[in-house]
Amino acid sequence: MQYFVNVTLTGLTEGMVYSAFALALVLIWRSTRIVNFAQGSMAAATTFIALALIQAGQSYWVALIVALLSGLLLGAIIERVVIRPVEGGPELNAVIVTLGLFVAIQAAIAIVFGSAFQSFPTPFGLEGFQVGDNRIALTPNSVWVIAAVLVTMALLVVLFRFTRIGLAMRASAFGQEVARLLGVRVGRMLTLGWALAAVVGSLAGLLIAGGEFVYPAYMDSLIVFGFVAAVLGGLDSPIGAIVGGLILGLALSYVSGYVERGSALVNVAALVILMVVLLVRPGGLFASSTARRA
Amino acid sequence: MTAIAAATAASTLAACGGSDDGGGDGGGGGGGDASANEASDIGITEDSIKLGAHFPLTGVAAPGYSEIPTGADAYFDCLNEAGGVNGRTIDYIYRDDAYNPTTTSQVVNQLVLEDEVFAIVGGLGTPTHSAVLDFLNSEGVPDLFVSSGSLLWGADPETNPYTFGWQTDYESEGKIIGEYIAENFPDAKVGLFLQDDDFGEDGEAGIRQYIDDQIVAAERYTPGNTNVGPQIAALQAAGADFVVGFNVPSYTALSQLTALQLGYDPQWFYSNVGSDPTLVGNLLNNFSQGTVSDASLLDGALTTDYLPTVDEPDNPWVQEFQRIWDECGGDGELTNYRIYGMAQAYTTVQALQAAGQNPTRDDLIEAIEIAGGDWEGPVLAPFRYSEESHMGTAGMSISRITGDTTEQVEPVQLTDIGDAPIEDFDGEPAEVPENGIPNEESVMD
Repeated sequence: MQYFVNVTLTGLTEGMVYSAFALALVLIWRSTRIVNFAQGSMAAATTFIALALIQAGQSYWVALIVALLSGLLLGAIIERVVIRPVEGGPELNAVIVTLGLFVAIQAAIAIVFGSAFQSFPTPFGLEGFQVGDNRIALTPNSVWVIAAVLVTMALLVVLFRFTRIGLAMRASAFGQEVARLLGVRVGRMLTLGWALAAVVGSLAGLLIAGGEFVYPAYMDSLIVFGFVAAVLGGLDSPIGAIVGGLILGLALSYVSGYVERGSALVNVAALVILMVVLLVRPGGLFASSTARRA
Repeated sequence: MTAIAAATAASTLAACGGSDDGGGDGGGGGGGDASANEASDIGITEDSIKLGAHFPLTGVAAPGYSEIPTGADAYFDCLNEAGGVNGRTIDYIYRDDAYNPTTTSQVVNQLVLEDEVFAIVGGLGTPTHSAVLDFLNSEGVPDLFVSSGSLLWGADPETNPYTFGWQTDYESEGKIIGEYIAENFPDAKVGLFLQDDDFGEDGEAGIRQYIDDQIVAAERYTPGNTNVGPQIAALQAAGADFVVGFNVPSYTALSQLTALQLGYDPQWFYSNVGSDPTLVGNLLNNFSQGTVSDASLLDGALTTDYLPTVDEPDNPWVQEFQRIWDECGGDGELTNYRIYGMAQAYTTVQALQAAGQNPTRDDLIEAIEIAGGDWEGPVLAPFRYSEESHMGTAGMSISRITGDTTEQVEPVQLTDIGDAPIEDFDGEPAEVPENGIPNEESVMD
């Protein structure tokens, strides 16, 4: 029983991490209709900035704020300088450019910060809570991760559903011409979308790194799982991203914990889950009505 | 990708740059006469021998392992300054394969076909080196002293006549660990934490020969999947109070972190590969700022040794390697990985000396088969080299990690693969020759 609880809790925490990353993908998809493959490298870059600050003696929280701000800046600059020139062309162009960015940013990190493995500190403890006689696989750090992701999701829901700026961002993403005719400053909205997505990505990068090891490519496997989680949830819905991440985290943890040699089957299992969900609900679990899709 | 390419270029430059200094004059080492030198085979000129290697300088396996070639490079630099081998300097080129077998094929191709090395020395990793095993043997390139304890390199010299192992193989290591547990912890419930490949399988096969009935769980992790929560939780659930890990260093750190999280505190025994206390300590270093109060999580863990280690400052080999590192090394401290690289370079020089004044590639192989079993050096127990076996050293001691040092709990044991018995090794530790350079007679001239 304790084993089941521990495997479940491990899965929930991992799932929240996937959710965090999926949220960033959803955000950029909702606000620009681009799938951003560079998201992982961008998050890794800001995580290394935070690590450099921590190693220079700054507190975790200062580093967190600086990382989020540099994410904001990085997202805006990339949109203006790299994405804007290809935005008018075929949709695929921008996606391919983000793939190129993915590799380029990783290389830049290796040049600036080196490619060594380093541990990344956490603001809270890594020892599990004591329940009765047993310690369970839920740590103060996992609580911080879960709380941070849920708060971010709530903020995003509020932004898109209840604010004018959120509405304007969605409008710019869906129909640039119409939005422009209605007086929305589309260019600014797209920049804002990239910047906000990069902030959420930076947060995800920091949450993922805490209590783990970082190196320039540490986000690689998470990019895949983050995409699976986002697509599971429907790519369009912040709540879907969270649910998708949790489902994936739990399922992979059960596969790893209960299937013989399960640790090797985790990647295959992720693909199977994705296939099954897309066969049953092609738009993902939380897809909005198909009529709205362009 | 770009990062890998850049790192390759940098390391190659460093390697080439390092080997340019040091004169080729004077007949050091084997005491040969440079004037009698000929360009006897590919990679050998009158005054140089070109050797190649592949190591993970970037990526998952880089921590620790990337230091091995820097140790070898320092050793060869000092050797070159002292006159080289038979008046020839060693030109040592190592390239980054990022522990990716596809890349290994690529860089070894480059070493053999473009750089035209005489031999490959110390190529690291089971999955990586497997990818070039056939190529090197079909090309007839000596493939010396693979940095891995797989049985693949030495158990079948008929199929792979050009390949030699070097370190203690994982099966023999498993046997020595198993016997130690059976004798000293007969009531322990043993759990195994295994890398899901040859490394874990060979180790498990060895250990099960002695304590099959004591093993309550065997959990496997896949390198790359950093979530080992389910595996550690399973060991805990099975009631294991003694865990033996056949895993790489980053997974030692991960298993310690996960055990901390679960409040799981068994007696740990990490096989030689995963146990370097300095490296694991560095990996866990940032966590200790505030959250993990004690950085020496490995305190009290058991491990095995087949080489002297940096925490034995009184060992004459360690003192000599320290001198070499200070005089010819680069940045950073002498580490166990650098000692590994130097010790491997030492064996390489023994092989080159035994192969005679003007060796061919086949001479080198024959010389190791004839003389290699008698070589002494920093390695604690003798090699098994002969026409029938290309296996490396066969012995290990067992020690306990206490803080930053280790304390021997069992002297060197000697065994072999299969059902060979385990015996006490009764030989004396070898003495350090002048300048740390071996002095083997040629067996070929």
